[in-house]
Amino acid sequence: MFKVGSLRKRQFIGGIAGVIIGFSVFYFLTLESAGEYVSIGPMNTGHQELSCVACHADARGNLMQQIQSNISYAVGSREEGVDFGTEDVTVDNCLQCHDRPNDRHPNYRFSEPRFKEAVKKIDARTCITCHSEHHEERVSVTSIDYCINCHQDLVVENDPLDISHKDLITKEEWFTCIQCHDFHGNHKYEVPTKLKDTIPMKVIQAYFAGGEDPFGTDKKYIGLSQSEWLEQLNNK
Amino acid sequence: MKNITKFLNIAYIIAIGSISLISCGGVPEENKASASTENVFSVAEVLEMVSKENDVTRTLYTKAIVGKGKTQGMKFDEDWRKDDVEAGPLPALFLRGVATSIKKSPVPLGLYLGSDFPVNAANKFVGKQAVLFEKIKEDQEPQFFYDEEQELHTAMFADVAGADACVTCHNNHKQSPKTDWKLGDVMGATTWQYPKDSLSYKETVAVLNSYAKGTVDIYMEYLDEIKAFEKSEKPVIGDKWPVEGNYLPTAEVFLDSVKKLSSYETMKHLVTMN
Ligand code: HEC
Ligand code: HEC
Ligand code: HEC
Ligand code: HEC
Ligand code: HEC
Ligand code: HEC
Repeated sequence: MFKVGSLRKRQFIGGIAGVIIGFSVFYFLTLESAGEYVSIGPMNTGHQELSCVACHADARGNLMQQIQSNISYAVGSREEGVDFGTEDVTVDNCLQCHDRPNDRHPNYRFSEPRFKEAVKKIDARTCITCHSEHHEERVSVTSIDYCINCHQDLVVENDPLDISHKDLITKEEWFTCIQCHDFHGNHKYEVPTKLKDTIPMKVIQAYFAGGEDPFGTDKKYIGLSQSEWLEQLNNK
Repeated sequence: MKNITKFLNIAYIIAIGSISLISCGGVPEENKASASTENVFSVAEVLEMVSKENDVTRTLYTKAIVGKGKTQGMKFDEDWRKDDVEAGPLPALFLRGVATSIKKSPVPLGLYLGSDFPVNAANKFVGKQAVLFEKIKEDQEPQFFYDEEQELHTAMFADVAGADACVTCHNNHKQSPKTDWKLGDVMGATTWQYPKDSLSYKETVAVLNSYAKGTVDIYMEYLDEIKAFEKSEKPVIGDKWPVEGNYLPTAEVFLDSVKKLSSYETMKHLVTMN
């Protein structure tokens, strides 16, 4: 697009672009409801009180620096661009408030190569697979038979169930698992042993959508509030 | 009137905007040449170093804490984190604790433990790892491969039964599919992953430090767990070891011993290569 060597011209165009982008960003940020305006939907269960920065950390440098760097990148005087505004939300953001040492499905374990095939079906390496944000819900993946990808060879010693795990698996009853087991193991409750005592699927679906918690309210870990989170950051 | 104010506003914003654009120098670029001095170690060398540290840590924990602790009546359990279980972490769960801590650090290192005859079915190797593990069992040599999907350099190292406790505990475990393990057997393998093919001196030290910090983190979790014991007698925590009685070393004392035992090999590497 640019003629090689016409450095002057590139600088000029870069300058103009800078002014235009700078202006639009300033104008945009001074809009009163910028926060709401950019947000793509209502927050998920439990997150209503959080502000955007709790998950959308600022990328390196302040906004003006980012703009300049990206312009330099665009006109070729810089090798790499920088993230505009915020960095991608990753599992690390979630773990800053939801670090649970007893998680029975700790995300990092699924990076091991042997989970390769399972992860193609259900990427348990990151929270966002199952809890995509801004959808006013608790759990996003509603088809809850994905236990099949990892628990096909399950053997339970002295199985206490009236219909054994082995039989459930042979009959491919993968939707029953969540009707007895919570996913993370964060609830303190008696796991039922009879199929008739399982939690009805409708109730599970309502829980996923943000409704009452059928596994009970007695939990081992609760997420850090925004102020606890800030305090923790300051102590680092 | 309204239009003029709007125009002035815009002009003002443009002026400020361009001034700030010119006056601040942009985000400092991470210059590849200047940010890190030359890369001096291959990823294989670094993973070998950290896996040696792991061997030492694991054997020390198994022999001096679990093995000797048991003779003092201390308990170690797979459900050690459960509230009603008053026990410390088994060696494999100690290792998983280290791995979890590393994952939380900024160092992009992954660590896992598996086997072909695992106590815990969830630790069974499949696919590529299972194939390479067969080779490791033959000659105990490490195996390296590139994990294309995740774009990670991967190494596997033999996990050898280095203490009597390894053998007796696995052979007696009701879920163990193999009950004739012997001292010196390859009981499994650790798998390590790292994204780059070579590391600077600084990055290498960061890898080793994140492993050491992981050791301290999980050990501290164990000591915290002990604080909450209600039914069991609590060991005295200080500079003594279980071999002397109902004692446990502090995290510093424990890490110090690891360093003394492993530092020679690692230091030799770090010093001669630089
Ligand atoms: C609890 C963490 C969290 C908080 C708090 C949060 N977000 Fe998000 N946001 C996310 C996640 C996760 C995604 C990615 C969604 C996905 O991939 O499903 C996202 C995506 C977005 C996107 C879409 C662009 C993109 O990068 O994909 C916008 C815009 C956004 N968030 C704005 C906001 C605003 C504005 C606020 C404050 C009102 C906010 N977010 C608060 C987690 C959060
Ligand atoms: C600043 C702290 C913070 C961050 C960051 C955060 N959360 Fe939360 N989250 C909370 C709090 C506080 C609650 C409500 C208390 C609770 O239920 O644990 C909550 C609730 C939840 C719930 C519903 C829990 C329930 O009540 O059933 C889910 C699911 C959840 N968070 C997932 C995530 C995911 C996924 C991310 C990353 C995208 C994330 N959180 C990031 C603080 C945070
Ligand atoms: C494979 C899908 C999946 C992944 C990945 C996943 N979750 Fe969940 N999560 C669920 C399901 C299903 C539930 C509802 C059952 C339950 O309560 O455990 C749930 C419930 C929760 C809850 C509310 C219940 C509780 O445990 O307190 C929180 C908080 C939560 N998840 C946080 C996270 C965080 C943080 C991550 C990433 C570190 C994550 N989840 C990853 C499926 C997932
Ligand atoms: C991506 C793979 C994967 C998926 C998907 C998965 N699990 Fe797991 N699950 C594991 C692994 C690995 C463990 C850890 C086993 C261990 O180390 O004890 C585990 C452990 C468990 C445990 C605890 C076992 C114990 O010994 O305490 C339960 C219960 C469980 N899973 C139920 C489920 C249910 C229900 C689902 C579906 C909603 C599911 N899992 C989906 C891989 C998976
Ligand atoms: C009727 C209730 C019920 C159903 C349905 C059920 N389980 Fe279980 N499950 C239990 C109980 C009870 C235990 C034993 C107590 C415990 O460990 O929580 C158990 C144990 C387990 C364990 C731990 C095994 C171990 O060695 O510690 C896993 C993993 C598991 N179940 C997975 C599943 C999967 C996958 C499914 C779906 C095919 C499933 N369960 C269906 C009630 C149920
Ligand atoms: C006090 C009992 C005990 C001792 C001592 C012990 N282990 Fe284990 N080991 C276990 C248990 C239980 C597991 C399964 C942990 C889990 O839930 O993942 C395990 C897991 C493992 C695994 C992963 C594969 C599997 O079997 O699940 C390997 C490899 C292993 N141990 C090797 C060793 C070696 C080598 C030693 C000595 C340095 C050792 N163990 C000492 C009980 C023990």
